[in-house]
Amino acid sequence: MSATEETIKDIIVKIVHCDREVLTPTATFQDMKADSLDMVQVLVALEDEFGIEIPDEDAQKFQNFGDFVAYVEARVAEKGSA
Amino acid sequence: MLKGRVALVTGSSRGIGRAIALKLAEQGADVIINFFRRRQAAEQTAKDIESLGVTAKVIKANVGDPDKIDEMFDIISSSFGRLDIFINNAASGLPRSALDLDTKGWEWTMDINARAFLLCTQRAVKLMEGRGGKIVAISSLGSYLVLPGYVAIGISKATLEALTRYLAIELAPKGICVNAVAASLVTTEAGMLYARGGQQGESSPWQTTPVGRLVAPEDVANVVAFLCSEEAFMIRGQIIIVDGGTSLAPFTLTSKGG
Repeated sequence: MSATEETIKDIIVKIVHCDREVLTPTATFQDMKADSLDMVQVLVALEDEFGIEIPDEDAQKFQNFGDFVAYVEARVAEKGSA
Repeated sequence: MLKGRVALVTGSSRGIGRAIALKLAEQGADVIINFFRRRQAAEQTAKDIESLGVTAKVIKANVGDPDKIDEMFDIISSSFGRLDIFINNAASGLPRSALDLDTKGWEWTMDINARAFLLCTQRAVKLMEGRGGKIVAISSLGSYLVLPGYVAIGISKATLEALTRYLAIELAPKGICVNAVAASLVTTEAGMLYARGGQQGESSPWQTTPVGRLVAPEDVANVVAFLCSEEAFMIRGQIIIVDGGTSLAPFTLTSKGG
């Protein structure tokens, strides 16, 4: 499990107030019991934490927690190599 | 008419904000496009504005966050050094009843829809001082009518309208005109989402207005542009309603043109 994934879990647990154990790669937003405001706040917190941008055009494609992690890791790597 | 003026329109990647940004650009203003979540849409709006022969600048900022507001105005200050027009349009909110509204939803809505108007105006005035300026806030009929699931947004818009009146008087000696425009349901993505998610059915009165059609974003933009003109100089602290007569005759709405 990467440090990035752990940080994403910290952020989601803090904002959505779900159990950390719920956050498996296939966990959906329904599994997290997150509403649309929760999700926007998670995206904003991830942007601030990692210094990246996650536009809605991309975020709308996320189906589960694994998609979040893969996207953020890719953007962070992209930023590191820029 | 607005040639050489610099305008900031918050939440202008799409919908009403985009229509206002385009209208001001058509009249010659350089426009700062602020967005929060839709970069592609914001860049498209900027491209459309530049095709009109004026300057467009895209700035990402969540206006619910005071630090991001400061960052946005720091960029405006260093890029343009002044501001002539500030349109407070950005808005957000979840459809909730009063009994289902939690502190998170309340604060989110109030911070973006009402507090941002105050904080942005405080920064905007510094860039207008000594030169005068125009400030227009975008409200809605939900500030005084009870709409389904609209409690948090309605309260935030009522706050925005009260602030409009106070600012109009406080800023009048500085040569800054402050007004608001309140529309009924507007044919934007957000407006249609609200209409579908609300409790209205196919026969909902909100599907039309006494005029026979819903309010388009351009209807709002036209009035905003007028309020930004010198012809509107003596209009201060007013809430101009753009609703095709809906608020005057709500019971006639099901018969088109009724």
